Amino acid sequence: MTERQPSAARRRFLGDNPERLGWLFVVPALALVIIFRIVPLIWGFGTSFTDYNGMVAPRFIGLANYASLTHDPVFMDSIVNMLILLATLPIWIGLPLVLAILIHQGVPGGKLFRAVYFFPAVLSSVIVGAIFNMLLRYDGSFNAMLKGIGLSPVDWLGNSSTALFSLIAVQLWATFGMSLLIFLAGLSTVPSDMLEAAKLDGAKLMATWWYIVIPSIRPIIEFAAVVTTIGMLTSMFGLIYVLTAGGPGTSTTLPEFLIWLEQGRMNRPGYASAISMVLFAMMAGLAFIQIRIMSRNASL
Amino acid sequence: MAAVETRQKRLLAVIALPMALLALSAVYPVFFTINAALKTRKGFVLDRFGLATDATFANFGQAWNQSRLSEYFTNSVVVTIGAVLALLLISSFAGYALAILRFRGSKIVFAIILVSLMIPVQVVLVPFYRTMIALDLINSRAGLVIAYTAFFLPFSVYLMTAFYARLPRELFEAAQIDGAGLVQIWWHIMLPMGKPALLTLGILNTLYCWNDVLISLLVLQDKRTLMVGIAALRGEYTTNVPLLAAGIVLAAAPIVLIYIVFQRQIVSGIAVGAVKG
Repeated sequence: MTERQPSAARRRFLGDNPERLGWLFVVPALALVIIFRIVPLIWGFGTSFTDYNGMVAPRFIGLANYASLTHDPVFMDSIVNMLILLATLPIWIGLPLVLAILIHQGVPGGKLFRAVYFFPAVLSSVIVGAIFNMLLRYDGSFNAMLKGIGLSPVDWLGNSSTALFSLIAVQLWATFGMSLLIFLAGLSTVPSDMLEAAKLDGAKLMATWWYIVIPSIRPIIEFAAVVTTIGMLTSMFGLIYVLTAGGPGTSTTLPEFLIWLEQGRMNRPGYASAISMVLFAMMAGLAFIQIRIMSRNASL
Repeated sequence: MAAVETRQKRLLAVIALPMALLALSAVYPVFFTINAALKTRKGFVLDRFGLATDATFANFGQAWNQSRLSEYFTNSVVVTIGAVLALLLISSFAGYALAILRFRGSKIVFAIILVSLMIPVQVVLVPFYRTMIALDLINSRAGLVIAYTAFFLPFSVYLMTAFYARLPRELFEAAQIDGAGLVQIWWHIMLPMGKPALLTLGILNTLYCWNDVLISLLVLQDKRTLMVGIAALRGEYTTNVPLLAAGIVLAAAPIVLIYIVFQRQIVSGIAVGAVKG
């Protein structure tokens, strides 16, 4: 220790007592988390049972906000859109899983594929949204290409029957490389003699995958499924904001975007909080599943 | 057996073809954007897909100056640097306290931080906004730094705590026997030993802060960060695609650069998170 020794009094205050210094060192983290996450969550939970409108003092109305949610067509639409999105989960897992196994089994150029597939995942959702807005608008370049090969153009973003699927496809394009990396990390922990043994048996490629590779990384697949689902519930905002703004109508409005719209209106925080609590309940359910997977894997 | 091997090799080579097409689709939109940014407005209307033959950098200049991207760029740089430094400092403090010092109550503190990992910003959007107003942090870059720090902190604290917990405890005990104070141990041992984890966190948090749009929209209203500026540019210049494309390239360039330089850290950071759960 080359620097000047601190005075004895200062050292006694800061340096020698693990109890005191421990608390001192977690105070910044703890304060930020409590002020900006825990207290707002509790406030939101309480407010969701009131008729608070931002001006007059709130009145307790029990579950009335939650009851009116079920009659709110916009909210119900956002839930239906979310269920459609969740139903596509097998593609979000299957596509990167197949690609990861192929790369792991030594497809020529595998390292390059990994780097290229992952690349869109580092781009901001705003960048991705702005790029695909140029491509997918009615007068955009994708339709120009379709016309070029003699197909009729489609209003990918402006038509309520295609907008949600366009949004899902773009998000899949932007994020499948993330799951691919997760699967590759999992595959690298599978003992390679297991795979070699399968080859010696003359097992067919497909059979090797189904009976050996996939079961051996099942915990990783479950983990990726939970992480992907959490992403579906909470990471779509930027893309919706730039690509479709929730429209046309409510066709691409997901719960997280609806919360944003309600927040912007500022006139019924009680009601907006009830939507938030529904989203939180789903997040908590997923977190519960995730913790169970993690603790089960820890005991393996 | 050798026949099986060669057949599998041939099969994999055939499969590489559709994989290459998919790889092309992963980079083509990006190539299209760069190409469009180099075209004049007229040149783009005449030919969207062809290579920009008379490449012009005028769009970049116009986006940078007239569309105020330079101002948004500065805001993003200042806020990202501020938030990343705060995140590294605070999570290194907390990781040291939770993993090494292990004071009474540290388990509860760690549990609170883990629980807050599961509270996304959307869930607390309304009360969070009110908190920001009450603390007079709306419309200030310092406010956005604090907001980013608060929202990206739980993951950073979790990672630093896990990292420090794997360090051999003898390191800490030996330094204590040598008479080093606890603050000195943090400065001289924990901070240098934590470098790999701090580097990963620095890169990941830079991506998160630079790419964020939701928190920025909420906190900065008159000023804009780059991503909010790009979103607005998209609305204002729907007919001038090359200008918009130039803005997109300028906004994505720093991240692409970071990806190229730190690809290994980014990839291993995500992999470690996955395998360790």
